[in-house]
Amino acid sequence: MKLAGHILWGVVSVAAAFCLGTIAVNRGEHINSMWIVMAAVCTYTVGYRFYAKFIAAKVMALDNQRATPAERLRDGHDFEPTNKWILFGHHFAAIAGPGPLVGPTLAAQFGYLPSALWIIIGAVLGGCVQDFVILFCSMRRDGKPLGRMAREEIGKVGGFTALLTVFLIMIILLAVVGLVVVNALKGSPWGTFTIVAIMPIALFMGIYLRFLRPGKVLECSAIGFVLVVGSIFAGQAVSNSPTLAPIFTFSATTLAIMVICYGFLASTLPVWMLLAPRDYLATFVKLGVVMLLGLGVIAVHPTLQLPALTRFVDGTGPIFAGKIFPFCFITIACGAISGFHSLISSGTTPKMIAREWNARPIGYGSMVLESFVAVMALVAACSLQPGVYFSVNSPAGIVGTTPETATATITGWGYPVTPADMSDLSNTVGEQSLFYRTGGAPSLALGMAHIFASTLGGKAILGFWYHFAIMFEALFILTIIDAGTRVGRFMLQDMLGHISKPLGQTKSLPAVALVSAVVVLSWGYFLYQGVRDPLGGINSLWPLFGIANQLLAAIALCVATTIFVKMHHAKFMWITCAPLAWLVVVCFTAGWQKIFSDQPRLGFLADAARLQSLLDSGKVAAANVSATHTQIFNNYLDAVMCGLFMVLVGTILIDSMRVWYGVLRGTRTVQVSETPFVLSRLQPEEL
Amino acid sequence: MRIMRSVWRVVIGILREISDQNAYDRHLRAHCASHSPEEWRRFIDERLRSKFERAKCC
Repeated sequence: MKLAGHILWGVVSVAAAFCLGTIAVNRGEHINSMWIVMAAVCTYTVGYRFYAKFIAAKVMALDNQRATPAERLRDGHDFEPTNKWILFGHHFAAIAGPGPLVGPTLAAQFGYLPSALWIIIGAVLGGCVQDFVILFCSMRRDGKPLGRMAREEIGKVGGFTALLTVFLIMIILLAVVGLVVVNALKGSPWGTFTIVAIMPIALFMGIYLRFLRPGKVLECSAIGFVLVVGSIFAGQAVSNSPTLAPIFTFSATTLAIMVICYGFLASTLPVWMLLAPRDYLATFVKLGVVMLLGLGVIAVHPTLQLPALTRFVDGTGPIFAGKIFPFCFITIACGAISGFHSLISSGTTPKMIAREWNARPIGYGSMVLESFVAVMALVAACSLQPGVYFSVNSPAGIVGTTPETATATITGWGYPVTPADMSDLSNTVGEQSLFYRTGGAPSLALGMAHIFASTLGGKAILGFWYHFAIMFEALFILTIIDAGTRVGRFMLQDMLGHISKPLGQTKSLPAVALVSAVVVLSWGYFLYQGVRDPLGGINSLWPLFGIANQLLAAIALCVATTIFVKMHHAKFMWITCAPLAWLVVVCFTAGWQKIFSDQPRLGFLADAARLQSLLDSGKVAAANVSATHTQIFNNYLDAVMCGLFMVLVGTILIDSMRVWYGVLRGTRTVQVSETPFVLSRLQPEEL
Repeated sequence: MRIMRSVWRVVIGILREISDQNAYDRHLRAHCASHSPEEWRRFIDERLRSKFERAKCC
């Protein structure tokens, strides 16, 4: 039996190596997506079976005899021992956002190879390890959040730095996801109607749950889902109506203002009215669509149309500027390693783990699944014709402002496409135009629609599937915007409360409205800057978000390494130090290039200098002088934000290294704030 | 058949956990209360308050 096990794992390992090798060495001909899917599945399986088990057994010394916080502090609310598969689903639903879908779609401009390798290897050695280790650390500390662990294990500087970093990242995150929605909906009456219709549907759900059928969340969500699908069909009728279509056709600027107003309203209205019902609906739709996409990719197993490596590996890509290293590794964050996951792993989940060994499937396993979602998104994006992919994702500032010039530029890059091809495609999916839809969402929706339509309904309902995918992306992006604004408001009120007590009062309507307005205007400014950017906004904002998110992961890994050093000295610190070192090199290189590169498309300061010289030489038309001044200011602002992220993380890194040095040299007393061992008395029937 | 039943139970369990219905059942048990519209509103207000104070993942 043992021999059979060895043989089986040997076969899986060889299969993983063979599939990875095949996608790595193949050049010049299209490969089937199943090579990537198989490489991912086999590598994840080996990583989970051997690496995660090694960390769990040898480093963490997980012990099912040890009572978890869920058992010791059981209160029927936050602390409750929960079945491991139910908690797995709950945790996965919490970590899965738009990041693993949008990031790989944008990074596909380099070709499928770098993204595929980074998603698979980065997750197994970095992202899964981070989620698992932070979950373990929090579980052994009564479910404490990351900021508090940073303060207790590293010091006060680390704790405050973590809090401030999270707040700033939130601002950039909300702006960038808002931009993705705006770019997906601009000039699209069908998409806009569907998303606008979700608001009254959510309000109806809120009233239904509170007054008509209190407590019937599943029933209410099912009704909400039927209504949302109905709104997609109604959206088609709206887009075909000469009277209604113009009413629901908005420019990017108008949509940005609408999103900003929505963020303010949703964060100040009672939660039960709009935010909570939308959140339930978004979570269910998200889980359903991810499952559907997985089944669709396996059933259709499309051939990848994009090459392994495109000509844009040299850093001249139209979607965002910068070479594979470091920009591929910050563009794809959530599918490989995401700092935000550390907030979830030290949030609700550690308070619900029934047995210590359950942390392996929940912490490591959920991230494996998240990474697989990123692989699916990459397959969907790379299965598009390269000409179509670049026509949708390239901004007008790069490819030209008319369909003819855009297609000529893209064809000149070696990716043939004609205005007629794009026009046919737009008509098929019910859009006026698919050019300049930067942000990743429309191209991902096209890829998903092709996969869904190949299995269900054929080309006749491609338009429905396209708008279903847009609805799915916009639905949970808007949920992030409203919930994120609310969270940002709480964080800011918490900080402001130390300066002015009235501002810190979360039940005072004027304080809530004022602080909400500050948060909304902060991310709203970056969003507005993004939609006005001639390069599409994604070029500057997505890398900023990627750097910020990866730097948050660096903070989490600093905390994890500090705890490992205190537990085992230097013996196992490589487990978290290796991904930490990689992230520090990647993020600081990317941050440095974004600020100081002498190429205007890449460096914020270089672009500001270019615009200033245009102004000085009088080459800017009088009507554009004010906008150019704003662009210069925005470049400086982005440079300052980027520099601030690097300084904050540099601070926490130096602070952590000081602690490690002290512990390893024996000059610092080792204080591990783990809760003492208590024997578990939990019975299986209690789960 | 038994496997199918277990899978179904887990799926329903996940959906009920996400929809806070499991948490509501626990709340009723912990407070020896029975379901009523007022009880649900009391529970959900507190639940949502703490839920939406935490960061949502990207």
